[in-house]
Amino acid sequence: MSVTLQRPTLPPGVQQEWRGETYHGRPVTKASGFDWKVSFYIVTLGIAGAAQVIAALARTQRGGDGLARRARLLALGGSIVGPLVLIRHLKTPRRWYNMLRILRPTSPMSLGSWLLAGFGGLSGLTALGAIFGRRSRLARRVADAAQGPAAVAGAGMGIYTAGLLASTSSPVWAAAPAPLAAQFGAASMAGAASALALAQRAAGETASARRLETLAMLATGVELLASRATERAWAATGLERSITSGAPAVLNTLGGKAVGVALPIAAHGIGRAAGGRAGALLPELASLAVILGGAAMRHAVLLAGNDSACRPEHVFRTTQAARPGEVRR
Amino acid sequence: MDGGLVGSAPGGQEAELTAGTRIEPGRSYGFFTDTTLCIGCKACEVACKEWNNLPAEDVGLTGHSYDNTGRLGAHTWRHVTFLETGTRATEMPPYQSNWLMMSDVCKHCDPAPCLEACPTGALFRTEFDTVVVQQDICNGCGYCVPACPFGVVELAPEDGKAHKCTLCYDRLKGGLEPACAKACPTDSIQFGVVEELVERAGARLERLREQGRADAYLYGAPGAPGATGGLRRLNAFFLLTDRPERYNLPPAPSRPARNARPAFLSGLATMVGLALAAVAIGVGRR
Repeated sequence: MSVTLQRPTLPPGVQQEWRGETYHGRPVTKASGFDWKVSFYIVTLGIAGAAQVIAALARTQRGGDGLARRARLLALGGSIVGPLVLIRHLKTPRRWYNMLRILRPTSPMSLGSWLLAGFGGLSGLTALGAIFGRRSRLARRVADAAQGPAAVAGAGMGIYTAGLLASTSSPVWAAAPAPLAAQFGAASMAGAASALALAQRAAGETASARRLETLAMLATGVELLASRATERAWAATGLERSITSGAPAVLNTLGGKAVGVALPIAAHGIGRAAGGRAGALLPELASLAVILGGAAMRHAVLLAGNDSACRPEHVFRTTQAARPGEVRR
Repeated sequence: MDGGLVGSAPGGQEAELTAGTRIEPGRSYGFFTDTTLCIGCKACEVACKEWNNLPAEDVGLTGHSYDNTGRLGAHTWRHVTFLETGTRATEMPPYQSNWLMMSDVCKHCDPAPCLEACPTGALFRTEFDTVVVQQDICNGCGYCVPACPFGVVELAPEDGKAHKCTLCYDRLKGGLEPACAKACPTDSIQFGVVEELVERAGARLERLREQGRADAYLYGAPGAPGATGGLRRLNAFFLLTDRPERYNLPPAPSRPARNARPAFLSGLATMVGLALAAVAIGVGRR
């Protein structure tokens, strides 16, 4: 990246280089109060969103009806449970509806609220097809008409939360917006494919489940690559302490990497090689691990961002120079 | 237009007497905090708490020089920083000596990251170009808290709403200068129209340079450190004499909202790529 950075000019009488000084070691920025409820929402709506993408693909395939039905129900479930938990994280939850009071284009949380409202509504419509589709032609038609927009909104649901975290002054979240969003998006797709693979296996559609498992593993690979890019960006700006110590370290390494990546690869590898009875149990274990690992990764990032906001050296290290950028008026 | 009881009183507004400024909607008001004049008396902190009815916070000693307030927060909208530098000199400059003191406050940034983040519209820009949280709208989502590059806004556990300096919105409406500026005994905190304050700060800077101070500079004025990365200016700006970090200020903050676009683009590209891969894999076939 060859961006000329804006380095503030200080007068000659002032020490020109920052030598790690802080103000009594006190925090510069404040950490968000985001906790597990926000992580739960990110994971749940990520899975629900990507499930709508899969539902849209399944509707275009012959024999994809079962998968489409389950994906639509998964999306509906996620878009009911997720927001209920998210509202609990508000410090004045009875005013949740103020989220839809205005549309603020500069606020990913405002855009996300509207996106969520649209996604929830569209998921309700597609669920009509899943529930009444066999009996009612009207329900089928309404659901299919809503499917395209639902998939587009779903893709947004899978990634906007990364943009939301990145658009803050918490150093770890703001350090690598593009790789972080790729990481969140891939994890959403991997989670949805895994959840639906479990559903397909339970319904006896094993071949369909296998394709979903392949998709999940591919998405997990993309997530791993993106997480490497994110972690490199953190290391390049000296922010790695927030993710290599304490709870975020355990969640990221043990949860995100070992359970979320290594375990599924091993389980699928052995399962496909062995076939037979192991060929049923191991893939289910792998799918579960992908979902849990993706959740752990997202929670690790959330906690690491809160941690880095409280470290003055992180804030100062990342604000020695700024991208000049447009001045809005 | 004076829109207030005091303002409409005969003889003009009180702010004209105390700050030499007439307060009219449509103009930009702010603070120029000149740290070379600060004596660390904390009258600003007290005046702010008194006027705004803010409760006391942790009463105790921090061990950080005379700074026992520690930070700006939901109940502390002015905060005097104290930093003792070097050893005691026998010949000291006629101000601040080996002590850096600064009365910190919300910067009322233009554009304001907290306002850009707020999904409810609780945070808004007033007719005085200041940034205020509407308490009857805020739902405590807390997104403004990590958005602020200066760690100013905070949620109060007592009521679950975001709080910060209002630049005494109610006083401005009544033609009164903000409480902290009025209480400041050395005029370290000056209130006025931002453009006029920038001019005044420039003249002060020149006078300090003539006196041989090669370390004085503005923080947050247009084009100065602090007004970087898409932040056009800070309506509350400062005159400093050491690196910004020593006052707990980031040297080159930026508008966090600018990170949304790269995130959305890369995220959507990832989703499209994986959807195409799903088609290739044959997801959906029986």
